[in-house]
Amino acid sequence: MKNMSALQKIAIFAFLVAIGFAIYLIITAKAFSYLSKDPKACINCHVMNTSYATWQHSSHAQRATCVECHLPTDGVVNKYMAKARDGFNHTVAFTLNTYDHAMRISDDGAKRVQANCISCHNSVTSTIGANADKYHNFDDASGVENGRKCWSCHRDVPHGRVRGITTVPNNLGVKEVK
Amino acid sequence: MKYKLLLAGSLAAIGFISLMVSSVNAREAERVELATAPIVAEASKNKSEEWSRYYPRQYSSWKKTKEGDEIKDMLKDKSQLAILWAGYGFSKDYNAPRGHYYALQDNVNSLRTGDPVDAKSGPMPTACWTCKSPDVPRIIERDGELEYFTGKWAKYGSEIVNSIGCADCHDNKTGVLSVRRPHLDRALISAGLPTFADSTHQEKRNLVCAQCHVEYYFKKTEWTDKDGVAKVAKVVTLPWANGLTAEGAEKYYNDIGFSDWTHKLSKTPMLKTQHPGYELFKTGIHAQKGVSCADCHMPYTQEGAVKYSDHQLQNPLNTMDRSCMTCHRESEKTLEEIVHRKYERKDQLHELAMDNLAKAHLETAKAMEAGASDEELKAIREHIRSGQWKWDYAVASHPAFFHAPEETLRLLAVANESAMNARLGLVAVLAKHGVTDYIAPDFSTKEKAQKLSGVPLENLVAAKLKFKATLEQEWYKTAVKNGNLNMESRKDVDVKSSFYR
Repeated sequence: MKNMSALQKIAIFAFLVAIGFAIYLIITAKAFSYLSKDPKACINCHVMNTSYATWQHSSHAQRATCVECHLPTDGVVNKYMAKARDGFNHTVAFTLNTYDHAMRISDDGAKRVQANCISCHNSVTSTIGANADKYHNFDDASGVENGRKCWSCHRDVPHGRVRGITTVPNNLGVKEVK
Repeated sequence: MKYKLLLAGSLAAIGFISLMVSSVNAREAERVELATAPIVAEASKNKSEEWSRYYPRQYSSWKKTKEGDEIKDMLKDKSQLAILWAGYGFSKDYNAPRGHYYALQDNVNSLRTGDPVDAKSGPMPTACWTCKSPDVPRIIERDGELEYFTGKWAKYGSEIVNSIGCADCHDNKTGVLSVRRPHLDRALISAGLPTFADSTHQEKRNLVCAQCHVEYYFKKTEWTDKDGVAKVAKVVTLPWANGLTAEGAEKYYNDIGFSDWTHKLSKTPMLKTQHPGYELFKTGIHAQKGVSCADCHMPYTQEGAVKYSDHQLQNPLNTMDRSCMTCHRESEKTLEEIVHRKYERKDQLHELAMDNLAKAHLETAKAMEAGASDEELKAIREHIRSGQWKWDYAVASHPAFFHAPEETLRLLAVANESAMNARLGLVAVLAKHGVTDYIAPDFSTKEKAQKLSGVPLENLVAAKLKFKATLEQEWYKTAVKNGNLNMESRKDVDVKSSFYR
C-alpha cells in the first residue's frame, strides 16, 4: 500500500465505491426477486398492476403463475435467456418511459405463451392438432396453430378484454401492493 | 495506465448507477403513490360530497338513492297498524323506508319525533339519531358514547345534519369497510360471534348494514360524567345474547322485564320490533349460500373500463341483470313471479295475524270496560304481547318475506296462533262479565283506526309544521356556520312527507 501513488489509491477507492453502489442498486431494484417465479416480482413496477389483478381474479390464478405462461418452459437455459432479454427490454422501456398505456405482447412473447397453452392443455390441443387438416384455414393447415392464436377466440383468458395500465374491469386493486 | 482506466471506469459506473438508483427510487415512490388510497380529510369526512372527488362513481350512485322518493303511508296501506300500536309513536306516523338520501330527513319529518322547541324538549331520546347519519359516530368519538346517548333528540339537531353516507361504512384513510358504531361489536360478542374486525370480508359486506338493519332497544344505563353529575343514558343495544332469533330476543326482553310501551287500549306491556333485517336474512337460503347484502343490493357495475359496486341501494328487482342473473339461469320474468308469489303468501298471513291481534286489543279493552280484572287478563295479555312481537318481527324489516320466506311464514303462523289463543280466552272472560255479542269496531281505514287509538293527527301535524318552520331551520343555520353541513347536500331532500305535498 505504501508504494501506491495517489492515483492508484483514488482508483481503488472509486472502484470500491462503485461496487458499493452496485450492491445498493441491486437491493433497491429488488434484483434477486427476478430470479424467482413469484408473480409478485412482476408487480415490482406498477405498470403490471392491472395484469396482475386480472390474472389474480381469473381461473388461471389457481394453476399458473406469470412465468409459467410467459417464459419458455422447455429448459432452464431458454428460460433464463428469455428472462434476461425481457428484463433488459423492460428496464429500458420503464427507465426511458417508452411504454404505451395499453401494452401489447411482443411477437416473441406471444409465441412462448401459445406454446405453453398448447403444452398445458395437451389433451384438447392434441385433438385439435390431429384434426387440423379438416379445418377451413387452408393457408396454414399444419398443426394445432392453424394460423391463429388460442386467444383469437378465447379473448378473455386470462386478463380480460380491456387493456390498460391504470384500471380495467375485474380489477378491484392489488391487495399485495403496499 | 491500468489504474487510470480503473478510475475512469469506476467513476463512469458510479455516475451510471447513481442515475439508475435515482430512477428506481423515483419509480418506487410513484408505485407507492399509485397504490395508496386517497385520504379524505378527517374534519370533513362526514360530508359525503367531500368523498366525491376521489370516488366519483360511488358517490354519484349513492346520490341516486334520491330516486327512491316514494312516500308509502303504511298506516293507510295497513290500517290495523294504528290499533296495534295505540299509545305508541308508530300509531301517529309510519312510512315505508325511502332511499338513504332521505334517511335523516324522514327521521326529522316523522310525527314520532315530535315538535321540540329547544334542545331539551320533545318526546324522543338522542338514540333516535343513531342510524341516520355519519355525524353520529363523529359525536360518539368527540363526546363519548354515554354522553351521546344522554338527553333529548333535539340536543343534537344542529350537529346531525348529513344523511347516511360514505363515512358510515368506510375508513376515510383507506376506503376499506369500517364500523364506528360500538353497539355492533358488543352485540356480536354477546352472541358469541366474531367481531367486525375478525369477520371475513364477505361477512363485513353484511355487517356494515347490520349496524342499523337489526333489532335493537334503548338500554337504560346509569352513569356519572367527569364532573360527577349522575346521568341516565339510553344506549342502543341489540338483544342477541340468546341468539339472533325472534324467540331468543323475546326471552331476552322477558328476562329483564322490558316493554317498549303499555298498550293504550288493552293495557298490555308491549314490545315493538325494530327491523331485524340482518337476523332474518341470515336464516334464508341466500345467506346460507354465502351471498351478502352487497352482492344483490350493491351489484358490481361497469362504466367504460371501470368496474365498481353500485351504491344506489335499492330493491334488487330494479337491477336484476346485475343482481340475480349473475347466478340464476331462469328468465327475469320467471324469477319476478316467484318473488311475487312469496309476497302474496306472506301478505295473506300478515293480514290475518294483524286482524286477529287488533281485535284481541279491542276485545281486551271491552273486557276491562265490562269489569274484567288484570288477573283474569294476565294470560291473555301474555298471548297478545308474544303474538304481536312475532308478527312484528316477521314484517318490520319489509323484505323478510324474500330474505327468509320460511322463517317469516313460521313467525306469522305462530303470531296468529297466539292472537287466536288470546281471543279464545277473551270469549270466556267477556261471557263471564255478561258480554256475549261484542264485535270489535271497524278499523278498516287509517282515519277510523287512528280515531279508535286516540291519535290527534291534525294537532300533531300543525305542531310539526311549526317546528319545521322554526327550530329545524335554526339547526341548519348553526350546522352551516360550524362547517358541518353543506346546504347543497340537502337539495330537494324535504319536498314530501306523509302529511304534506
